[in-house]
Amino acid sequence: MSTPLTPQPVLRLQNLTRVHGSGATEVHALRGIDLDVHPGELVAVMGPSGSGKSTLLTIAGGLDVPTSGRVIVEDTDITTAGRKELAALRRRSIGYVFQDYNLIPALTAAENVSLPRELDGVSARKARVESLAALEEMGLGHLADRFPDEMSGGQQQRVAIARALVGDRRLVLADEPTGALDSETGESVLALLRARCDAGAAGVLVTHEPRFAAWADRVVFLRDGAIVDQTVRSEADSLLTGRVADA
Amino acid sequence: MKTWFHSWRAAVRIARRDAWRAKGRSALVLSMIALPILGVSAVDLTYRSSELSPAEKLERTIGTADASFQDTGFAGTPILQSPSGDSYRPAKDFDGAWPDGKGDVAAAIPAGATWITVTHGRAKLTTAHGLLQTEVRELKASDPIARGLSTLLEGRDPEKADEVTATSAFLEQSGLTVGSTVSARNFDRQYRIVGSYELPNALNEAEVTALPGAFLQDYAKAAEKSGALAPELYTTYLVKNGSGFTWNDVQKINQRGVMVVSRAVVLDPPADSEVPLYQIKGWGDYASSPAADAALLASLATVVGLAMLEICLLAGPAFAVGARRSRRQLGLVGANGGARSHIRAIVLSGGLVIGVAAAVIGTVLALALTLALQPFLEEYIGQRFGSFDIRPLELFGIAMLAVLTGLLAAVVPAVTASRQTVLASLTGRRGVRSTSKVLPLIGLGAFLLGAAVALYGSVVSDQVVLVAAGSALAELGVVAMTPALVGFFGRAGRWLPLSPRLALRDAVRNRGRTAPAVAAVLAAVAGTVAVTTYAASREAQQNAEYTASLPHGAVSFFQMEEGGRDVPAVAEAVQRYLPVDTRADVSRIVVGRSNCPSWGGGNGCGRYEVVVPQANQCPLWVTNPDGSDPADKFTPEQRRNLVLNDWRCSEGNSGSLYVDGGLLVGDAKLLKVLGITDPGAAKALDEGKAVALQRSLVDKNGTVAVKKITDAEAADKAAMENRPVPGEVSAVPSYLVPGKPTAYGLQILMTPATAKAAGLNTVPVGAYFSTDQMPGDEQRQKLDAEIAKIGAGIDLTVEEGYVPESGIVLLALTVFAGLVTIGAAGIATGLAQADAEADLKTLAAVGAPPRVRRTLSGFQCGVVAAMGVVLGTAAGLLPAVGLRLTEGRQQLRFYEQNLAEGWGTGTPPKVPIVIPWETLTGLLVLVPLGAALLAALVTRSKGAVARREAT
Repeated sequence: MSTPLTPQPVLRLQNLTRVHGSGATEVHALRGIDLDVHPGELVAVMGPSGSGKSTLLTIAGGLDVPTSGRVIVEDTDITTAGRKELAALRRRSIGYVFQDYNLIPALTAAENVSLPRELDGVSARKARVESLAALEEMGLGHLADRFPDEMSGGQQQRVAIARALVGDRRLVLADEPTGALDSETGESVLALLRARCDAGAAGVLVTHEPRFAAWADRVVFLRDGAIVDQTVRSEADSLLTGRVADA
Repeated sequence: MKTWFHSWRAAVRIARRDAWRAKGRSALVLSMIALPILGVSAVDLTYRSSELSPAEKLERTIGTADASFQDTGFAGTPILQSPSGDSYRPAKDFDGAWPDGKGDVAAAIPAGATWITVTHGRAKLTTAHGLLQTEVRELKASDPIARGLSTLLEGRDPEKADEVTATSAFLEQSGLTVGSTVSARNFDRQYRIVGSYELPNALNEAEVTALPGAFLQDYAKAAEKSGALAPELYTTYLVKNGSGFTWNDVQKINQRGVMVVSRAVVLDPPADSEVPLYQIKGWGDYASSPAADAALLASLATVVGLAMLEICLLAGPAFAVGARRSRRQLGLVGANGGARSHIRAIVLSGGLVIGVAAAVIGTVLALALTLALQPFLEEYIGQRFGSFDIRPLELFGIAMLAVLTGLLAAVVPAVTASRQTVLASLTGRRGVRSTSKVLPLIGLGAFLLGAAVALYGSVVSDQVVLVAAGSALAELGVVAMTPALVGFFGRAGRWLPLSPRLALRDAVRNRGRTAPAVAAVLAAVAGTVAVTTYAASREAQQNAEYTASLPHGAVSFFQMEEGGRDVPAVAEAVQRYLPVDTRADVSRIVVGRSNCPSWGGGNGCGRYEVVVPQANQCPLWVTNPDGSDPADKFTPEQRRNLVLNDWRCSEGNSGSLYVDGGLLVGDAKLLKVLGITDPGAAKALDEGKAVALQRSLVDKNGTVAVKKITDAEAADKAAMENRPVPGEVSAVPSYLVPGKPTAYGLQILMTPATAKAAGLNTVPVGAYFSTDQMPGDEQRQKLDAEIAKIGAGIDLTVEEGYVPESGIVLLALTVFAGLVTIGAAGIATGLAQADAEADLKTLAAVGAPPRVRRTLSGFQCGVVAAMGVVLGTAAGLLPAVGLRLTEGRQQLRFYEQNLAEGWGTGTPPKVPIVIPWETLTGLLVLVPLGAALLAALVTRSKGAVARREAT
């Protein structure tokens, strides 16, 4: 999969640090992270528990603020954006996929997908047309009118990916999207994510399963809040198969 | 279309589906909001339907006639009337009394018109149970003009002079049926009931209809002959002339002293400027004043506002539970770009959805219930509906209150939910939830101000409105302070065992959800405590002020008319049914025929008077020949002194029982029944003396004087002109009972022999009895039934002491407060449970037994109930005590004023304050305990179902 990298990254993290608490309880969750994610690129973030993977993702999506450093999403510096601006950015630019319970139980699949658009003020009919198109495109059209509790976990996660990319959104932040799935279902979810990135989206995938990281173009290793290693896909492959020694 | 509309639409969709998913909680909140709406809408529908249009009203009052004519009793002098006939007066001004006498209505009816008469009077009719005082109507009901006045239900209209119809209410009360015969007391005629009817405007009226001239005139003559009071008869003429009567026609007829209700005029009334009556000062401008309207509106708004506040306080926590339970969902919305306004919109939509559903369900149910219960409602208000009158705008307004209540209840939970960060919502981290510091401060300010106003009102001024307003403000202040006050309770937690300690800490740490529930309990309990304290104090006062009519357990009866002919029979009935110990028969003095009624009046009937000697008259009450007020001669200080210290002025009638003129003829047994044990009195009776029980009646020679007034009319005239009343005075030697005994209205007692010697005629009037035990309810009912069979006009008194009457209302209020408390505490517990799941898992993990879950929720519920009840009790005592203090000051002021004017009895008023300890104990102990047990019972011991696996 050789996607040409465009010069303009969708997500830019510059010298990012995040400190929780102060004094004796001070915890450095992130220490000087630099990371660019380009359109068509899927980046996997790996690392042990407590290494800062999830913090990285929440800051990248504007759900948390960094102690220092900059986060730029499609030319907007979200570290200086206001609450409303951030919310608008999440509606229009950033999509999230969590480990489980991604869908709002009170809404059907199609309604879940069209939610960000409707919140943005698009008419219900237009939002539905868009969401149906998105679902259709991902081969999920038959799920459109099902409620979350009428779908399997894998189906729910795929609908969540569809929602993450509805409208003009080009950045998917996925936090262990396969964590609650069996491996076969997990593969199908990642295949979908991979396909969306191939179609031009940028993706960041937090996982602790090397098997799933293999779908990424690049793997970033975090330990104690710092990037300790980065591999491109070919290296990642060999890394994961154990043919290459520590970099 | 505006973008906010689309995002709200999404919010409403989520809220609607959520409400459907949480059916139990939604139903609870929905019924809380819908029930008051149902009640108010049903009342509106009933009120509007029972309100008649002018045409409907006319049909029921004048049938199909064009007008009704009625004599005004001003002896035919010209009158002025209002177009509706509600008010009228003589056209000319008269210096003295208005003219009095009958006019000639028939002469006022235009030639060529047809008419019928309706005559009304009252009569004592015989029934299956005895005698019933009944309205009798004489009307040719089959005449087309009478159509609409009444509705025939069964049988037919009377056709012969000895036939009557009766209302269904009469048949029910009398135990008679169509086909029975009915007669009247003192009247030798029999009437057969040939049909039953109802009066659409007075369904509960017992009435009998006979043909014109068939009953009333002859009955009145017979009644007068036998010494009973003859009924007054009122005749209305229903006139039909084909063309109707214009306002001009009406005014012409008014010249003959006849008042007219004309269909044409009522349906199309003239302008006020064309009504001469309205041009006279003081007439026609009696429309309700704007101030009274404003006051009514203000009190209505207060009641509606307080009810809505209470519902919001109760429903608010339910929405908070919903928001807390769907925290993750709200977090997801946030992660997908939902701004704070969107989160608020979703929670608010929850209120909107429930509010709209409550409005629709409440209104539809109100319509259905009112329609289904129409016959019962008509019976209840005693009137047939004109038409089923639906006012869409009013119903819509009432329904909007439901929507508003739902929205208001969701406001605080919505704001709270929107303040949560998306991350906290998603991860389920609770974080520290701080409450507003400003609100309790404002509350403290309001409380202090309100308490100061109430204190000022109760201690310095005597303005009840100040106390009420101050208390309301203070109570709102306490509600606002609740979060801070809840914090104080937390300090008590240190020495409690695990479960209650956990419950209390949890309640205190999460004030945001505890406070509204506590406030709801507080408001309900405060109201109840205020009302019960006030009522208990009132009751204590009434008990203290109660004047017994007779010694405790004693019985008396009087028959003041018909020459006391039923006295022996009634006395025997009393002895038969009640545990009588001593019987003392009494007679009264009669002037004129022996069947003259006690109050005089009628042909050849006079009256008597017990004379107060000039020297014994209170200087404040003497009659001056010029008609001036004798009190004017004294300064306020002197008047005060007279009332307090002069025996002539402070000696009043000591009983509340009406005892003829204060003089009874009987023997020493009466003294025994009344508890007058002075041996001198019995001896005096034996010696032929009168026994006097009031010092002012005995003159310096030791005699009492009785004046026989044979010409009652001359006496009335003399009294009006402040002249001495003419009459023959008999002086009787007397014995004054020493020591001011309580005589229950009796002033003078003499034996029949003494009365005869003094030239006074007597007739039996009744009897007094002492009993050896208090007559029971069943005995009384049997006696009442027996007396109803024997005769009418018998005043029976059984002295049972003070009987409080307000019990049931207070009990209902207490039960209501208890239910609100348990409901609010239950909702708060649900909220706590939603939060505490993680704690419970931890507890279980460290080895806590399963019952901890139960006891914890029990204590959580109990803690909320207890806090609310304690605060509410304190908040409720304030207005009650304040009101009582104000009333005390008010009554003391009236008392002082009266003394200065020379009125009153010299006993200062007592306004006790009584704390209803039983109610308070019930609220303070039983209600929290009950709430705790209930919550513990309905909580599962096992942990909640584990989270569903996402496969």
